[in-house]
Amino acid sequence: MIRINNVGMRFNLGIEKDNSLKMVFIRLFDKRKRIKKSEFWALKNVTFNVEKGDVVGLIGSNGAGKSTLLKVVSGVMKPTEGSVEVDGVISPMIELGAGFDGDLTARENIYLNGAILGYSKEFLDSKFDEIVEFSELKEFLDVPVKNFSSGMVAKLAFSISTIVDPEILIVDEILSVGDIKFQEKSKNKMLSMIKGGTTVLYVSHSLESIKELCNKVVWLEHGKVIMMGDTKEVCEAYYDKQLKNN
Amino acid sequence: MIQSIKNIYYNIVKYKFLLQQLVMRDFKVKYKRSVLGILWSVLYPLLMMMVMAIVFSNMFKFSMEGVNYLVYLMTGLVVFNYFSEATNNAMGAIIGNSTLINKVYIPKYIFPVAKCIFVGINFVLSLLPLLLIIIFSGNAAEGTKCYINIYYLLLPFIYLCMFMFVVGVGYILATVAVFLRDMIYIWGIMITILNYFTPIFYSITILPESLQTIFKLNPLYIYINATREIILNSTPPSPLYLLICFLSGFGMLVIGAFIFKKKQNKFIYYL
Repeated sequence: MIRINNVGMRFNLGIEKDNSLKMVFIRLFDKRKRIKKSEFWALKNVTFNVEKGDVVGLIGSNGAGKSTLLKVVSGVMKPTEGSVEVDGVISPMIELGAGFDGDLTARENIYLNGAILGYSKEFLDSKFDEIVEFSELKEFLDVPVKNFSSGMVAKLAFSISTIVDPEILIVDEILSVGDIKFQEKSKNKMLSMIKGGTTVLYVSHSLESIKELCNKVVWLEHGKVIMMGDTKEVCEAYYDKQLKNN
Repeated sequence: MIQSIKNIYYNIVKYKFLLQQLVMRDFKVKYKRSVLGILWSVLYPLLMMMVMAIVFSNMFKFSMEGVNYLVYLMTGLVVFNYFSEATNNAMGAIIGNSTLINKVYIPKYIFPVAKCIFVGINFVLSLLPLLLIIIFSGNAAEGTKCYINIYYLLLPFIYLCMFMFVVGVGYILATVAVFLRDMIYIWGIMITILNYFTPIFYSITILPESLQTIFKLNPLYIYINATREIILNSTPPSPLYLLICFLSGFGMLVIGAFIFKKKQNKFIYYL
C-alpha cells in the first residue's frame, strides 16, 4: 500500500529562508559562502512498508521527523533521496483547518475545504448535513470561521476530512482536539474507519492512544528509524528510553 | 513542454471544482465588508476610467484626428489594467497560499490560474462601462462615432490570447517571487515603466520610426492594437496579426508553465 524506500529529506538551515536581494547576490558571486551552508537531514535512510489495513503509529521526540515523513508520504514534499510509492487515495489530516479562510463562513469553508481535499460538489451537497451534524456547529454555520474557537475549528475540519472513507488516512496528533465528548466521538469515528479497512498513518505523543489504535509502530529519532514492529514492544522500549533520559 | 501543457489541462479539468471555489473565495473575501459588494466590479473601473478621461482629454488636451479619444483610451486601459492586476495577484498566489501548500497536496499550478480568472471576471465586467461609452460615443460627422460590428466576434479570441499571455507571465512571477520576495517591488516599478512604454493614452505614430518597431513587439500593444482596429475602425485585424496574437499568448504560457514546473518542487523550502 505504502512503500517507503530509503527516504532521505535534506533541508538547508538558515540560507533557505533568507531570500533578500543582498543574500541572492552574495550567493551569486561569492562561491565560498555557498559551501558554508548548514545541512540538516530531517529523514535519513527511512525504509518501511505499510500494508493494506495496517494502522501504523509513528512515535519519537519533537523534531524526530514524524511530521516530515507524513508530508513526504502525502506528496507535499518530494524526498531528496529514495522514493515513496503509494497505492490509493490519501486523505491528509496533517493540520486541521489549514485550508480554511477566516473571512468565510463555516458553510462556505465546508465547500472550500472539501474542494481542497478533492471532493466534488455533488458529493459535498449530499454529505453537507452529515458534516454539519457531526461537527455540532449547526447554529454557527453562517459565522465567519475567524470568530470560532480553536476547538470549534478543529471539530469542523475533522468532520469534513472524515466524511469519506479514504483508503489511506494520515493523522497528525489531532485526536486531542475538542472537548471530551468530541474526542470520544472522533476516536470512535477513527475506529470505525479502521474496521472498514482504512490504512492509517498516525502520529501521536500519547502512547495510550497509539496502543489502542495501532497494530504496528515505527519509532523515529533524529530522522532515523530506531525500532519498528509490534506495538507493545516498541512502545515499551520507547517508554524505557524516555525514562532513562530523565 | 507539450507534456507540461497537457498536465495543466488535466489538472484544471480534475480540479475544476477547486478552481471554482478558489475564485469564489477571492470574490467573497474581496467584497465581504463593502456595502455595494459586487457592484464595485463595474463601478470601480467606470470611475477610474472617468478620472483618466478627464485628466487626459480635458487637462492634458490629448486628442486624435478622426478618432474617438475616449474609446481609444479605454480600450488600452482595460487591457493594461487587467495585465497589471492579474500579474500582481498571480505573483502572490503561491506565497499567499503557503500554509495550504505546506499542509495538503494540491497541484500548485492551480493558484496563479485561479487569480488570473478572478481578475479576468472583473475584466469582463469592466467591459460593460466600455460598451456604454462606445454606444454613446462621438458624432458621425466628425468621424468619431464607433459602431458595434460583426468583427466584435473576434474580441473573445484576442482576449483569450491575452489571458494565456497573462497566465504565462503570472507563472514566471509566482516562481520568481517565491525565491526572491523583492520581486513584488521590482515588478511594481516594471509595471509603471511598461505603462508608459505601451501606447495607451498616446498614439504610436508620435514616436520616431525606429522606436515604433520596438514598441510594436510589445504583446500588450499587439492585443490593444487588435481590439482598437475592431472597435475604432470597424475593420478586422489581418489573419497574420491574429496569428501573432495567438503565438505570443500561447508562447508565453508555454514558457511560464515550463519554468513553473521546473521549480515547483523547490517551493516548499522557501515558503
